[in-house]
Amino acid sequence: MKNLHTAIGLLVSVMSFGAIAADDNVQIKPPAAGSVSQQQGLLAWSRIFDVASHPRCANCHTGPSDRPMWSGPSYGKTRVHGMNIQAGKSRIGAETILCSTCHTNKSEDWDKANTVNHAAPRVAMSWQLAPEDAFWFGRTTQQICEQLRNPETNGNRDALEIAEHLNHDLILHWAWAPGGNREPAPYSLQEHVNDILAWGVAGTPCPED
Amino acid sequence: MKVSHMEITVNDQTYSVDVEPEMPLLWVLRDELGITGPKYGCGIAQCGACTVHVNGYAVRSCQLAVGDLGSSKVSTIEGLGTPDSLHVVQESWIEHQVAQCGYCQSGQIMQAASLLSTNPNPSDDQIDAAMSGNLCRCGTYPRIKAAVKSAAKKLQGS
Ligand code: FES
Ligand code: FES
Repeated sequence: MKNLHTAIGLLVSVMSFGAIAADDNVQIKPPAAGSVSQQQGLLAWSRIFDVASHPRCANCHTGPSDRPMWSGPSYGKTRVHGMNIQAGKSRIGAETILCSTCHTNKSEDWDKANTVNHAAPRVAMSWQLAPEDAFWFGRTTQQICEQLRNPETNGNRDALEIAEHLNHDLILHWAWAPGGNREPAPYSLQEHVNDILAWGVAGTPCPED
Repeated sequence: MKVSHMEITVNDQTYSVDVEPEMPLLWVLRDELGITGPKYGCGIAQCGACTVHVNGYAVRSCQLAVGDLGSSKVSTIEGLGTPDSLHVVQESWIEHQVAQCGYCQSGQIMQAASLLSTNPNPSDDQIDAAMSGNLCRCGTYPRIKAAVKSAAKKLQGS
């Protein structure tokens, strides 16, 4: 078991350099302090929830389950990822089969990379499940809101750092350009980043506060 | 996309190819280099017949654009072992006489070898999870599982 953990640790560190190159088109411009009311912040949150709970995002934010989900026109309803896929503690499948076995790494963005229906989508970083703490699949707006504003469960980030994380992690950009017949996440990446920033300036309000 | 000249390393040999960078590695291996161990089954990551190793890890070669390889090293079933010095997975495959028609088997063996390189003593569930993306129309699954377990035992030295 020790060997396995050493191998997985090595593998995760070898693969994690894949997170590269921010999208130059995304602007990180927080509104001025005090310029966003709590009500406006809650409106921004409701749109953030639309994104977080959308299958393009929630299907890989499965929390304690290491099983990614599938949904969309081809599946009728949401179901567990086929092929008995288990992302494991590593979240990249290192214990069994790496996500990148099929979701291969692209060296850069090029047109038509994800246009083939039913093929595994690809991005220019290692495919993976979100960390366990970032548990969104089937969760309420209040639960997701509390997870996202708590530094202990959000990777120790404030809203500005969450926005920057959205800009840098290319796997997240895929949600808005999933290709094939997959439905993209709502709004746009820029609008989502703007909402995160506004929500932060409003003091990260949650609906049941 | 335009044809590019590139060098790729397969089974420790360097090859020069003039192909479109978005050509799947499987096409380059089979049609450009004549390395036909990896098989075409589906072309969409659903069957595992095309599995090769890239830097030692299993990858569906139908899904990897050759232009995305960079300096990574590719190994196919042809480079896994030699007749005189078989890979432990190949030895176990022979002991268990796993293959039936054989079409899926190079992919199965490459997947199993990749699993055992990161997890030398997998549980039954881990073997099932690792091998579930490799389909076998002949239904050799029980023999595949037995062979993976024997290979793991050999790696444990018993
Ligand atoms: S041919 Fe590549 S997975 Fe089927
Ligand atoms: S042995 Fe025939 S498909 Fe697997």
